[in-house]
Amino acid sequence: MRSDVIPISILTGFLGSGKTTILGHLLRQRGFSRTAVIINEFGEVGLDHELVEASEDSFIELKTGCLCCKIRTDLAQTLQDMVQRRDDGKCAPFDRIVIETSGLADPAPILQTLMTDTSIAGRLVLGGVVATVDTVTGAGTLQREDISQKQVALADKIVLTKLDLSGPAQPALLDRLAELNAGAAVLSADRGKIDSQCLFSAGLYDSDARSLDVNSWLAGERHSHARHDGDIQTYAVVRNEPIRAVTLTLFLETLAEHCGADLLRLKGIVNVAESPDRPAVIHGVQHVFHAPAWLKRWPSDDRSSRIVFITRRVPRRWVEALFEAIAAEVADVTVGR
Amino acid sequence: MSAAPVDLTCELMAQSLAAWRVAGVVERSRDGAIVIRGACTDIRIDPAASDPMFRWMVAIDGRKRPAISVVGVLRQVREALDPGYAANRVRVALTPLVPS
Repeated sequence: MRSDVIPISILTGFLGSGKTTILGHLLRQRGFSRTAVIINEFGEVGLDHELVEASEDSFIELKTGCLCCKIRTDLAQTLQDMVQRRDDGKCAPFDRIVIETSGLADPAPILQTLMTDTSIAGRLVLGGVVATVDTVTGAGTLQREDISQKQVALADKIVLTKLDLSGPAQPALLDRLAELNAGAAVLSADRGKIDSQCLFSAGLYDSDARSLDVNSWLAGERHSHARHDGDIQTYAVVRNEPIRAVTLTLFLETLAEHCGADLLRLKGIVNVAESPDRPAVIHGVQHVFHAPAWLKRWPSDDRSSRIVFITRRVPRRWVEALFEAIAAEVADVTVGR
Repeated sequence: MSAAPVDLTCELMAQSLAAWRVAGVVERSRDGAIVIRGACTDIRIDPAASDPMFRWMVAIDGRKRPAISVVGVLRQVREALDPGYAANRVRVALTPLVPS
C-alpha cells in the first residue's frame, strides 16, 4: 500500500446548516492540522473562506460555479495541482483533503468525479461524506428541498448543528434522518465544535486503520426494515447463500443500466462463491462502481452477503426480483453445462 | 430451461412495470410463456430452449428478437414499454476503494 495515498472527504449540507462554522473549528484543532480544504461557494461574492481562519495555503476556494454542476473538471485539476504542490514541497504538507460543497450542491457528481478522474486516480481515496443538518430548520428544509434529502441520503455521517438554539433534536427530525439514511452515524456539534477524528477518521476508507470501515458503513443493514420516504428509500438485501461472481456482475450492471441517477448509493459485503474466505466489498454511486475490494478475511462470523441500497424511487421488491431472476438463470446455465 | 428462471423472470417483469410506473399486466399463458399487455404494446416472452446461443425469444407486437439472458429480456421490455428510458452504462471507478 502506498503510504502517501490521501483520503478525501466531502462536507456537505444545505445552505446555512453550519458547514463553515464546523470547518472553522476543525481548522483550529491539532488533529486537523495536516488537512487541505477546498471550499466551493456559489454566489457572486464568496464569503465562506473569509469566515475560516487558516493559513492561506491550507485551503482553496473554488468559486466559478457549483461543484456538482459546472466545475468538476476544475475540481480534478485543483486536486491534481494540490497533490503536485505537496509532493514538490511548495505548500504545507497535508495527509487529508476535505471539500466543503456549496449548500445547493448534489454530492453525487462530486463523488463520481473523485472515483473516475484519471488525473487523481492512484493518489486519492474516497474517505467519506459528512452532512450537516440544522436542528432549527432542518425538518422543514428536508421536507421542502430535494437536494437536502439527497445530501443526507448520501452521507456516511450526519452532524446535527445549532442544538444550542433548538435544544435537543426533535424526534421527528431524527426519525426523518433515519428514514433517509439509517446507516449513517448521527453526531452533534456544540456551537460548531466537534472532534475531527470522530468526523473524518472513518468513512469508506479508514485512514487510521488503513482499511475499509465495513462494519460501520453496513450499520444501516441492521436498521433497514421499513425505512422509506416517498422518494428516497434505504434498504438492505441479505443473502445467506454465496453469490456467483457472474451473478454479482450482471446484477450490478443491470442496476446501473436501469436505475442510473436513482441509485444514489450502494455499498455491501458479498460472499462470492468463487472466493469463500475473502469477501468482496462493493461500492457504487449512481452508475459508477468501484472495482470490488477483496478483504483478507471476514470481519465477523457473519458470512452472509449484505448490500445496502440508498435509492430514489427504486422499489426494494424490484431489486430483489432482479437478483433472484439473475441468480436463477446463472444457476440454470451452470447446471446445464 | 428449468421452471425457476421462467417463474422468477415473470415476477421480475411484474415488479419492473411497477418500478417503472408503466401501465400493464403480466401473466402466464397456457403454454408457459410470459405475456405482458401494456397500454399500447403486447409482449410475449418464451424460453428459447433449443437455441444454444439465446435463452429467450421476445416478441414485441409480433416482431421476434432473441435475448441472451434475462438482462437482455429486461432491456427489450423496457425499451418497448418506457419511451423515456435511456440506458446508463456502468462505469468502473479509476480510484480504488482501498489503496493498493
